[in-house]
Amino acid sequence: MSNIAAARIQREFKEVVKCDEAAKCAIKVEMVDSDCMELRGEIAGPPDTPYEGGNFILEIKIPETYPFNPPKVRFVTKIWHPNISSKTGAICLDILKDQWAAAMTLRTVLLSLQALLAAAEPDDPQDAVVAKQYKEDPQAFEDTARHWAQVYAQAPCNNPGCSAKVNQLVDMGFTETASREALSMHSWDVEKAVEYLMS
Amino acid sequence: MGNCLRSVTSDDISLLNGGDRSPGAESLGPPPPYQEEAPVYYPSPNQRRPANQLTEEEQVRIAQRIGLIQHLPTSIYDGSKKNRECVICMSEFVYGDPIRILPCMHIYHLDCIDDWLMRSFTCPSCMEPVDAALLTSYDSTNTT
Repeated sequence: MSNIAAARIQREFKEVVKCDEAAKCAIKVEMVDSDCMELRGEIAGPPDTPYEGGNFILEIKIPETYPFNPPKVRFVTKIWHPNISSKTGAICLDILKDQWAAAMTLRTVLLSLQALLAAAEPDDPQDAVVAKQYKEDPQAFEDTARHWAQVYAQAPCNNPGCSAKVNQLVDMGFTETASREALSMHSWDVEKAVEYLMS
Repeated sequence: MGNCLRSVTSDDISLLNGGDRSPGAESLGPPPPYQEEAPVYYPSPNQRRPANQLTEEEQVRIAQRIGLIQHLPTSIYDGSKKNRECVICMSEFVYGDPIRILPCMHIYHLDCIDDWLMRSFTCPSCMEPVDAALLTSYDSTNTT
């Protein structure tokens, strides 16, 4: 059973390495352990999205029952997106759950995740706070997603406003991560963020 | 039709008892000691449960599923089909491999596709649900 899994992963790994998208540096995959059951994926933030220019690392765990069950995938790079938990990196995507098909491969999974970054589905959220902001305050969502991509995924876009507010809270004695999270959750309202951090 | 139903039921029992397809395995007494794990079934693609923890309803569904799967045509790979590779195990078909043909005409290794169909009753390549197509094709083969 795990024979199929190992054989498939080796072929799929080669498929990703040789594919056009890899040549364009849009997707990448690396082996983490020698028995191919854990991999490290990487996707580039799609153009014309707040994630543009960022590099997002994924943890990919292959179950022994692969390809009958989907791989377990999680974002290691912190990301602000309605369908991805801003705390754990857990992903809500149908093909990684009940819409998985045995013909899908590492390449199609990585490309689907990249497509998810370009087209969020706020009605099927993984992170309720992010989804609410996405629907009710699109500008704050975009600023936040861009700021997170810049801080955590090395995206070049710079938003001095967000960084200044984070620094303001850091000066008050809060940690940088907690300050960023509080500000993001409260659409960069410093007063509300401080209130949240104090409670 | 009566015959048909009977064969379905006997297959159910052999598969539920270990999935090794040897008829009458249950009459041989307790399973050999090395067989520690109970067979595992997947009521839905992400749920994994040993056979002895299934509800009656799930057991019936599994039995029905096995019956339906067995109505799908099987063949031996002879190189006449367009597909050269089983997309489930991603290895090339070899002459003489037992294969199963889905209503959408996609072919797979028999063991590979049967394992998949127990989890999801759709074609892994085109996502076409097997149920509906199966009933129509079954009807038409009956009338011709």
